[in-house]
Amino acid sequence: MYQALLTRRYLTRKIMPLLAAAAVMLCVAMELIVWSVMGGFLEELIDSGRSLIGDIEISRSQVGIAHYEDLLLRLEADELIVAASPTVEAFGLISLDIAGGSRVTECLIKGIDPESFDRVTGYRQTLYWKPLDEPLPTDTFAADPRLDETRADLWEALQFFGESLERPERADVPPVPLAVLGIEVFSKRDLRDPGGFVQDDFLTQRAITVNVLPTDTTGGILEPIARRFVIANEFSSGVYEIDSSTMYVPLGQLQDMLKMDEAERVERGGTPTLVVDPETGEERFELPQTIGIEPARATTVLVRGRDDADLETLRRRVRMIYEDFSLEHPEAPRPEFVSILTWEDRNATLIGAIRKETALVMFIFGVISLTSVFLVLAIFWSMVSERTKDVGVLRALGASRSGVAWLWIRYGLAIGAVGTTLGIGLALLVISNINAIHDWLGRALGLQIWDPAVYYFTRIPEDLDAAKVVIVAAAGVLSCMLGAVIPAVRAARMDPVRALRFE
Amino acid sequence: MPAIVAENISKTFRLGRVDVPVLRGASVEVAEGEWLAILGSSGSGKSTLLHLMGGLDRPDRGSGSITYFDDRPLDRMPVRTLDAFRNKTVGFVFQFYHLLPELSVVENVLLGAMIGRGRLGYAAARRSMVERAEGLLDGLGLADRRRARPITLSGGERQRVAVARALINDPPVILADEPTGNLDRANGDSLLESFSALHGDGRTLIMVTHDDAVAARADRVVSMYDGRLSAGSGR
Repeated sequence: MYQALLTRRYLTRKIMPLLAAAAVMLCVAMELIVWSVMGGFLEELIDSGRSLIGDIEISRSQVGIAHYEDLLLRLEADELIVAASPTVEAFGLISLDIAGGSRVTECLIKGIDPESFDRVTGYRQTLYWKPLDEPLPTDTFAADPRLDETRADLWEALQFFGESLERPERADVPPVPLAVLGIEVFSKRDLRDPGGFVQDDFLTQRAITVNVLPTDTTGGILEPIARRFVIANEFSSGVYEIDSSTMYVPLGQLQDMLKMDEAERVERGGTPTLVVDPETGEERFELPQTIGIEPARATTVLVRGRDDADLETLRRRVRMIYEDFSLEHPEAPRPEFVSILTWEDRNATLIGAIRKETALVMFIFGVISLTSVFLVLAIFWSMVSERTKDVGVLRALGASRSGVAWLWIRYGLAIGAVGTTLGIGLALLVISNINAIHDWLGRALGLQIWDPAVYYFTRIPEDLDAAKVVIVAAAGVLSCMLGAVIPAVRAARMDPVRALRFE
Repeated sequence: MPAIVAENISKTFRLGRVDVPVLRGASVEVAEGEWLAILGSSGSGKSTLLHLMGGLDRPDRGSGSITYFDDRPLDRMPVRTLDAFRNKTVGFVFQFYHLLPELSVVENVLLGAMIGRGRLGYAAARRSMVERAEGLLDGLGLADRRRARPITLSGGERQRVAVARALINDPPVILADEPTGNLDRANGDSLLESFSALHGDGRTLIMVTHDDAVAARADRVVSMYDGRLSAGSGR
C-alpha cells in the first residue's frame, strides 16, 4: 500500500522521473514509428507484388506461349483459380513530341487484355484520370482537376478509354491505337503540387511513338517496329518503379508489333521465287507454300487464385494444368522451359532484402532503446541515493527488504507505463500524419527523406496493428522495470542504520 | 518481570581495515511501563544500543542477546519476524524526525499502519486508521496541520508528527534517539510532556540523550561510557 502512495508522490513531485518518462516516451515512439513504416513498406511491397502480377505468373519471355487461349480456358475452369489473363511484355523506347524536340524514355511495354487483366490485377482501380466525388486526403484545397464537375464528361471518357483501351471508330479520326502510361513515366513527379496531382503537362490525348524490337520464335531479332499510340489515360499503382517505367497497350497491338500474332506458317528457308508462265511468258513471284497457321503467342499468363487458396498448392495446380496443356499443344513451350512463379518468388530477392533490412533496423533501434534501460538505471541509482534516508525510515517502520525493492520496481514500472503511454500516443500521432509531416518538412526545410525513386512507393506506407503496439508497450515497461531492478536491490540491501545516518 | 532484557551486548563496526568496538558487553533490564534514559556523551554507543534494542541492527555474533517480553531473542528472529517486530512492538522517534517530505503529515503518520497491514488489511481498516492518525495528531496539538507537508512545519511540530507516527500501531515500547536534540527548550519541554503522557498510559520508554536535564524526566537513568552501561539511578 505504501509503495503505491510513494510511487505516486515520487512520480509527481520530482523532475527526474518525468525526464526518465520522457526518454522512455521517445524510445517507444521511435521503435513504433520505425516498425510501423518498415512493416508498412514490406506489406505494401507484398501487396503491390501480388496486385501487379496476380498470384502466379506463367512466362516464357520473347518466344511466348502459343495457344494461350486454351491455357486460359483450362486455368479458369479450375476451382482454385478465379481469373487468368494473357500479356505480352517487351522493353522498348517511347518518345513524346514536345515543343522544340521530343522526350525519349525506355519503358516496359505490356500488351494487355483490359477486361481479364483487371480481374487478375485490379488494373481499372489504378487508372488516374476519372471523376472524383471527394478530394483526396492530401488535397487540402480541393484543387484536384478531377473534382471539376464541368469537365466530368472528359474524365468519364478518359476512364472509358483507359478501361477498354478501345475507342469507337470514327471516319474523321485516324485509327490510332490507345495506350495507358504510368503516371511517372515522363518524370512528372517534380511537377506535382501539394494536392498530389499533376499540375500541367496533361498527357492524355497526346500521341507517343513506341519502338520495339520483335523476335522470331527462336528468339532471333527482327527489324525494329515503330508505331504511334494516343495516350488514353494514365495509371498510378503507387509503386514508383512500376509507375515510372511501364505502359499498357492493347494485347493485339503489341502482338502485331512483336510478330506474335496469328500468322501463316511457311516452309523454313522458303523465299518468294520468280516464276515464268510457260504459256504466257508472264513473270511473277510465287510465295512459299503455306504449311499451317502460326498461333498467336503471349509471353506471360497471369493467374489470380481464390483468396483462400494456398499459394504453393496453387502453383502446383497451375503446373499440372500447364503440363496437360503442353501435351496437347506441341507448339507451346515444354514445361521445363516455362517459368511458373508465385508473386512471392517473383519478388523474393526484394522482399527478402526488405525483411532483413526491417529486422536489422529494428535490432539497431532496439539496441538504441536499451539506452532507456540505462537511463532509468542511472536515474534510479541517483534517486535511491537521494532517498537513502527514506529507505532507512521505511525499514525502521517495519518495511521488509522485498517491500522496499518492490517500491522501486513499482516506481520503474510506473515510469515505464507513463512513458510508454505517451510514446504510443506520440507514435500514433506521427504515424497517422507521417505523409503530412514529410510534406511539411519538404516545404519548410527542403528535406526529402522519403525519395520514391529509392523506396518504390510515392507515399510513405505504414502498417500499425495492435500486436505491434502491445509488443512495444510491453518492451517499454519491461525495460524500465529492468532498469529499476539493480537500484531496487541496492535499496533493499541497505543497512537501515547507515541509511538513517546518511547525509 | 522485566519487559526488555539486554545482556552483555557487544557491537563492533569496521572502519576501513580497523575494527572499532562501540559496545563492550552492555547489559540493561527495563521493566514494563518504565521510562529509562540512557545518558552519554557523543560517541559513547548509546544510539547503537538503541538501534540494537529496536531490531534495526544485530549485536556481534557470539555476544549477548536482547529479549522482549520473554520472547525469542531479537538476533535469532528471522528477518520477516524482525520486520514485524519493528512495526508492531516498537516505535522509533529520531533526533532529525526523518519524515518523508513528499507525504503529508497524516500520510507520514499512517506509514507504519500501511506497512504493517498490507494492501488489503489497510484498505479494510483505512477509515479507522485515518481516524486514529488524526486523533493522535489532535492529541499532539497538530489538528490543523494534518494535510500540511513536513517542510512547512516547525522543528517541534515535526517531532510531534514523528511521535504520532511511532504510535500509530500502538506499540508497547517507544525508542527515542535524542528526541529533543534538535529542538529549542520550549519545544523540548513540550515534547517531554508528551512523553510523560505516553508513560502515563503504561508504555515503556527508552530515551537516549546527552542532556542531564532531559534524562532527569525519566524514571531511571543509566549512563553509558565507552560502550559500557553504568548502574542506574532512579528518581
